[in-house]
Amino acid sequence: MIQNLLSMNGYGLFVWSSFLITFLACVFIYYKTYKTLRKYEREFAKEINELSVEQKKIVIENSKVASQVLSSYSKTV
Amino acid sequence: MFKLLSLGNIFFWIEKLTKFINSIFFVLLLVALSFALILSPPDYLQGDSVRIMYVHVPSAWIGLASFTSIALLSIANFLFKIKNIKLITKSIAPIGLMFTCLAIVTGSLWGQPTWGTWWAWDARITSMLILALFYIGFIAAHKFISKEERANKISSLVAIIGLINVPIIKYSVEWWNTLHQPASIKLTGSSTIHSSMLMPLMLMFFVLLLYCALIFLMKYKTEIIRIKKKNLKRL
Repeated sequence: MIQNLLSMNGYGLFVWSSFLITFLACVFIYYKTYKTLRKYEREFAKEINELSVEQKKIVIENSKVASQVLSSYSKTV
Repeated sequence: MFKLLSLGNIFFWIEKLTKFINSIFFVLLLVALSFALILSPPDYLQGDSVRIMYVHVPSAWIGLASFTSIALLSIANFLFKIKNIKLITKSIAPIGLMFTCLAIVTGSLWGQPTWGTWWAWDARITSMLILALFYIGFIAAHKFISKEERANKISSLVAIIGLINVPIIKYSVEWWNTLHQPASIKLTGSSTIHSSMLMPLMLMFFVLLLYCALIFLMKYKTEIIRIKKKNLKRL
């Protein structure tokens, strides 16, 4: 049964290559996108942390994005 | 209404949506793959090579739909100058390009056992290749033009011009003699594909759409952070 599944009556090479290429492309794009997002989150959190206490307070109070990024960053650190 | 559409609120909902998609994605992927590779029947003419359809057709649909939405949003951007639109189009483009390339590559892999050739300058294949070139043009405009305003204008123009290619892709199989068969699935009228194949096809399409949503949300989130980072530097 496994051999039948792999060979697909002679079309295995074409069918499995199609699925494998699609899978690898999807994984690659996911990994690249995820890595870029994490990099930006890290840099953004770092820049906020480098601000003075007063400036930091203003940024967190006025920006939901900043407070969310900071909280998720502190969870991962 | 405008408060709801603020970047902060959008960011919050992106987090929620990403978590939800992540929770259902792998189960759906396993079910879709089981149907596509094992449970669906082979075609009476093409045999098991028909299974390539389950990645080829959804990829082509996504490639086309993504470009159409980019072009329509670019028109809206020209008319109404909404800031969010450029973030959305910029986030959709790489996904669309990837799926257009996948449609071309998997199509080539399907063409060899079915038509006996990896490539032909057939109207459908050529117009899909042109679509990939339009995607590259759109992405390159954002990547290589440093002035943001100018990059947006040029990329929007590329998308709007590229929109002409979309009906050409759709109707190429009817307007010219091509290796491709006419559409088996029609939005209006009855489809000529059997339900035992239509169901796995729709399932794979849905799973790939979920994947696109996941990538789009991550890219959109990155763009929002990029803007906020710029604003922070102005302090």
